[in-house]
Amino acid sequence: MPTTRMKGRMITKVVGEHRIGICEKCGVKTVKEFYMDGERRRVRMVCPNCGELGKLIARTTAVQAPQPLRCFRFKCVAKFIKDSLFCALLSDYHKRRIAYAEKNRHKVIPEKYRTGEPSPKTIWQLLVATHKLIYTS
Amino acid sequence: MAQTQTWTNTGIAELILLLREEAATGMESIVALNMATPCTAAVASTFADPADTATHHTDSGLAIQAIDTVGGDTTNTAGDTITFDHVFTATASKNVAGIHVCNNDDDVAFVECCFNSVLAMENTDTLTIDGQSTIDQA
Repeated sequence: MPTTRMKGRMITKVVGEHRIGICEKCGVKTVKEFYMDGERRRVRMVCPNCGELGKLIARTTAVQAPQPLRCFRFKCVAKFIKDSLFCALLSDYHKRRIAYAEKNRHKVIPEKYRTGEPSPKTIWQLLVATHKLIYTS
Repeated sequence: MAQTQTWTNTGIAELILLLREEAATGMESIVALNMATPCTAAVASTFADPADTATHHTDSGLAIQAIDTVGGDTTNTAGDTITFDHVFTATASKNVAGIHVCNNDDDVAFVECCFNSVLAMENTDTLTIDGQSTIDQA
């Protein structure tokens, strides 16, 4: 029997956002609010008085694994090694960033450590950013 | 450690049961995972045996509960994505290493996610989950 092989896969993406549940401005507990984001019904915690979100402590980041190796030419293998290295360094950066943000929840730290954005784009940028994090934490 | 998230083998089996119109229930519940160090999501994880040595939280606002919103969306082809959004509100200091997205019977974990790092929740802290799963034929 002939078979049709599809390149199907399940892709799952999850982002967790850890916030303080008390409004910084009004000092009251935030409450659940449902809202529409395009077609999608979503939920967030907002201050019932001023509508502000609670202070962000840390946002997790899903790192996309590199595409699997599909050919064995030097160019393909070199790209795969480079992508894998980038992925490993990026994962390490986000792990350290979140640990640092959680540890300093009450202190003023650069917002990029809480949001994860902008995220380093090259291996060199990642090495510098991770080095900075190691020596500031 | 990278943030890891995956469909579990038992989750796929439950999905197949749903397609066959056999006894199974859809994505309805969510629970936070308790572990002091980051875990690694695995396809072999089950509702009863989450990743590594993680366990389900059973109290403090992090126990199993109904997901706030579950909906459909489009990523590549119309309706190929399921979305789930939820807010946990902690009522005590607890570590959260990840989440399980479960069926309505609360006996199958469809999706397991382990965060990049453990989140140290304190009383009244909130954790907003923004998740989606796509069946991609690209």
